[in-house]
Amino acid sequence: MAAIRIEARAVAHRFAPGRGLQPVTFVHDGAGCVAVLGTNGAGKSTLLRMIAGLLRPTSGVLEIRVDGADVPMPARRRVVGYASPELAFYDEFTVGENLAFVADARGMDGPAAAVRDALDRVGLLERIDDRVAALSSGMKQRLRLAFALLHRPPLLLLDEPGSHLDDVGRAVTEAIVAEHRRTGLVLLATNEPRERELADSRIELRGGLGHPA
Amino acid sequence: MIARTTLFLWIAVWTVLALLWAPLVPALAETTRVLYFHIPAAWISVLALAWSMGHSLAYLKRRRLEHDDQASAAAELGLVFCIGATISGSLWAKAMWGSYWNWDPRETSIFFVLLIYGAYLALRSSIEGDERRARLSAVYSAAAFVTVPFLMFIVPRIYFSLHPDPIINTGGKIQMDPRIRISFFALLIGFTGLFFWMLSLRVRVLRVARRFEAVDAERAGSAA
Amino acid sequence: MPTRESSFAAAWAILRKECRSEWRTRYGLNSALLFAVTTLTAVSFAVGRMGDRTDVLAALLWVVILFAALASLAHTFVREVEGHTLTLLRLTAAATPIAVGKLLFNLLFLGVLELVTVPLFLILMGAPPPHWGLFLGVLALGSAALATAATLVGAVIAQTRGRGALFAGVSLPLLLPLLAAAVSATRAQWSGNPVTFELRLLAAYTLALLAASLLLYDHLWED
Repeated sequence: MAAIRIEARAVAHRFAPGRGLQPVTFVHDGAGCVAVLGTNGAGKSTLLRMIAGLLRPTSGVLEIRVDGADVPMPARRRVVGYASPELAFYDEFTVGENLAFVADARGMDGPAAAVRDALDRVGLLERIDDRVAALSSGMKQRLRLAFALLHRPPLLLLDEPGSHLDDVGRAVTEAIVAEHRRTGLVLLATNEPRERELADSRIELRGGLGHPA
Repeated sequence: MIARTTLFLWIAVWTVLALLWAPLVPALAETTRVLYFHIPAAWISVLALAWSMGHSLAYLKRRRLEHDDQASAAAELGLVFCIGATISGSLWAKAMWGSYWNWDPRETSIFFVLLIYGAYLALRSSIEGDERRARLSAVYSAAAFVTVPFLMFIVPRIYFSLHPDPIINTGGKIQMDPRIRISFFALLIGFTGLFFWMLSLRVRVLRVARRFEAVDAERAGSAA
Repeated sequence: MPTRESSFAAAWAILRKECRSEWRTRYGLNSALLFAVTTLTAVSFAVGRMGDRTDVLAALLWVVILFAALASLAHTFVREVEGHTLTLLRLTAAATPIAVGKLLFNLLFLGVLELVTVPLFLILMGAPPPHWGLFLGVLALGSAALATAATLVGAVIAQTRGRGALFAGVSLPLLLPLLAAAVSATRAQWSGNPVTFELRLLAAYTLALLAASLLLYDHLWED
């Protein structure tokens, strides 16, 4: 797969005075699994959103390089698969329709096959024609994972991937992380010790509740 | 200190001169005096709008909150001057032509400016987060900027004008007694200076407030 | 950067999604139609037939269209924000194709709304027969301008606390020039006067605002 490099130089996000992500600096090269750690409010989700291109840093420089080429913010959605608890789907559509829309909008070749493949990997294939409104929260979490995997991105960003999941769901997630980290990069933002153990390196964020900035 | 005193003296002296020394415009009679305040107010409303929009565009390009401070401060002041211009214009219209409002091109234009200010400030007050507020209001400002010229084109076509154009041509030469002309331009300059002075004060307040908040937040963080 | 093809693919996919979503839930179109018919009924009831006053008719027609538009055109964005699906959308497509897809949907929506409202208006108000070519031309250009402005403002206010309540007030300044031109042109075609100036103005306004929007949409969703 592709070679990934993430470099952050004093990257911060100021939402209001004193609140937000405090400046963080790190470099990561190549495949693997990295845990993003910090207390509530430290900015784990903020950092992931910035890497995904959803949020612009208010200071500092964040560079993502895939195969040596810089990926600017507007293009990040192509190389990033992002799953986070506040990611919601269209309740009036079925599971399959939601993912088919995403595949069509991304201009993917063979969208139907890609949708089935992604759903199969997370174990949701038999629910493909169920409306999203009818899914349990655990199933919705798996759907988020399928959404992140749909376009086979080199970089996977998982924010609290274990939320709402039962043991089977967690096993599915761990299998996907294990498979992806061999050739691509996985960033896990988490407070769970079990998920922390999956990673082979970590980024610790200062600030937030309980930590002096 | 000196600049401020000079400004106030300038305005004070020229106000007295305008009211007592300059003669009345024959066609306007006693209402002449309004033009020394109404027209500068209208001019400043438009100037402030252009200033605000310019800084909005600068913010979108450079993402520095100083530009947003300028844009919002100019809009707040511009609104005040615009309300002044609208009310004084309306009173003048009532005294001259018997009706408070007629939707003639000038009245329509100043009302349009008032609406833009109102919408811009209402939008700002409903957004949280400094950066988001700056960005979204700048986008709106840029869109409004595009529509302004069109209003200038369509309004004259639709309505006849009650404005005393043959007597005072505010666009080009002003054909009237030199004492009126001098007083008018002096007060125009004075009030423009007043606007920029108030603007600088407001921008400074915004900047200091932000720094206070930052210090407060840091202190709260380290005390925890 | 996305290739041209994928921008079109994205906008087209979003347009189809909006249509399908509207078809499934239908509350957007239903409430808009209800609103338009209610406004029309109120006006017609209060004023009666006004076949001779084409100046008033022109104004009333556009007021009804405007009200119905203000009540409904922000929904495409507000629904995304309230349903929390905006993140999904932003991860799927770039800002400009998203906005273009929704603009096309709003255009379609407005078209359907007018298909019902305009004939009803002409009949209820006892309007004289219009010069159909010119009348439809003004309607089309005016609606295009309206949809362009409303889509941009809708995208902006969807992220505020006021949302729908703000939509009317914030879009009004942008809509004034188009309203004036559309009313003037509608009145002119009934009295046999030329409408070329207003049509050109409406076209120029739409293009200018569209061009500005395409540049501005990229700045809208950065958080």
